[in-house]
Amino acid sequence: MPVSAGYVAREATTNLWRNRLMTAAAVLTVAVSLALVGSALLLKQGATKATVHWQNGVGVAVWVNGDASPAQFQAIGTQLAQNPLVKSCIARSQAYDFNEARQTVAADEFNATKQSDYPSSYRCVLQNPSDATAVVQQFTGKPGIFGTPSSPTAQIRTMESVIHILQWVFLSVAVVLLLSASVLILNTIRMAIFARRREVSVMKLVGATNWFIRLPFMAEGLIQGLLGSAVAVLVVLGLYWGIGLDTTKTAANQGNLIAQMSMGTWEVAATCILVGVVGIGVGVAGSALAVRRFLDV
Amino acid sequence: MITFQNVTKTYKGSTVALRDCSIEIDKGEFVFLVGPSGSGKTTFIRLLLREEIPSSGRIWEAGKEIGHLSKWRIPYLRRNIGCVFQDFRLLPNKTVFENVAFALEVIGRPKHVIASQVPQVLDLVGLTKKSGNLPGELSGGEQQRVAVARAFVNRPLILLADEPTGNLDPTTSLGIMRLLDRINRTGTTVVVATHDAGMVDQMRRRVIELDHGDIVRDQARGMYGLDSAIAAAGAGSPTGTMVETATAPVAKAGAPAPTTGYADSRDRLGRRDVDS
Repeated sequence: MPVSAGYVAREATTNLWRNRLMTAAAVLTVAVSLALVGSALLLKQGATKATVHWQNGVGVAVWVNGDASPAQFQAIGTQLAQNPLVKSCIARSQAYDFNEARQTVAADEFNATKQSDYPSSYRCVLQNPSDATAVVQQFTGKPGIFGTPSSPTAQIRTMESVIHILQWVFLSVAVVLLLSASVLILNTIRMAIFARRREVSVMKLVGATNWFIRLPFMAEGLIQGLLGSAVAVLVVLGLYWGIGLDTTKTAANQGNLIAQMSMGTWEVAATCILVGVVGIGVGVAGSALAVRRFLDV
Repeated sequence: MITFQNVTKTYKGSTVALRDCSIEIDKGEFVFLVGPSGSGKTTFIRLLLREEIPSSGRIWEAGKEIGHLSKWRIPYLRRNIGCVFQDFRLLPNKTVFENVAFALEVIGRPKHVIASQVPQVLDLVGLTKKSGNLPGELSGGEQQRVAVARAFVNRPLILLADEPTGNLDPTTSLGIMRLLDRINRTGTTVVVATHDAGMVDQMRRRVIELDHGDIVRDQARGMYGLDSAIAAAGAGSPTGTMVETATAPVAKAGAPAPTTGYADSRDRLGRRDVDS
């Protein structure tokens, strides 16, 4: 006998309302844990975007001694231009680097220097950002080269590893919370089964099928999971629009980290779908376990 | 309709609730199961409801061997069996109508069928005027009539009643028994496990007596105890014929015949109570 969807929905919602305090607790726990899962996923996607962005901007600055002759400066430029790993280079004079230092170096430190203390430089963009280390090694110690050519690769790696750690912390906390949400749902269903044990015994007596008895309880878990994931999806969307991770705000955030982490609607939609599926899964798993363990049909 | 073939039911700890019972109950029969507490009456009913499975032997119900029935088929078996209990088992938050309708709802009967069958059966049990009341607003007898209505609304082939008058006064009990009799006249096989001696003596239907798991008497138009049957026979009243079935071990070898009350009988055999 097919079980009527109307009957299941009616019974499930009535029971949820009767047991509303426990239901609220279970829904909130699911919501918090799934919000964390969603945030971790957004962070991961943002970090991937930002890494690509940063890597595209990764170049190598080859510093040339301030006392190098114009011919020596020219020769280094030629070597760079002929290097297959290098895409293009721009020559920067001592005056340019001096002015740049005015922006980036602390004022008292900058005031203690003069333009002749600064090297001139070539700012190169590479064919492939991941070759930065190789280019740095090739030009370190060559005649006319000042110190070690610099590349922000190391900083990017540090940034990536920090994001990676954060992501794992988020996911670990979320997994623990998801487990506790499942247990809470299980307990809510157990209480519902206990409250309705008389009704269940009558149902069995008059020949209700096992699924007819089980489905309303399973639906209760499903609804709790759905409600929890709906709240979590709202949090994820709030995060997405609230801090401006959507691409429409990239121009407004130009240059900052958030703009670099920005992602498209489809990516955030995928995150929301995943959050919803996990929420439903947690609800169904918790209630299925409770029905199996505590409902004797 | 019901056949027990060498059925033995043993619970954990080797407590024997039924021992090698063989019995046949035909379609449309009205049977009283009598015996002291611990004699196996409730186990008999539970076996018929497939709440228990026999340790050995076979049981046929409405043409089906139910001992090896797969789990998913049990609900369908129970749709052919109505059941009434001493504690009524009504749902306190549902009205009389809803309690009776519930039995049809859970087996997926359409609303128009419920709307026509429930009033009919409420009329049969005489509770039409109380269909909107909650069980808490009814007397014990009325509640039991609701339970009978719920058991019968699906027009089952068999109606089982476990101590249906256990909580009721004699007058109300008589009303319930008359109701079960009316249901029996519709062709439904009725099996009533009872301690109500007055009722059994008054109804004069087939009596199966159990004692510590053994069928000790199977009597057409019988009375509650052997004493009352003998007394009635001595008085020249038409008690019907005492029928001892071929398989029923009427008296144990060496054991005195049960001529006294059931409590004495239990003490004499020294067996444990498994029926409560």
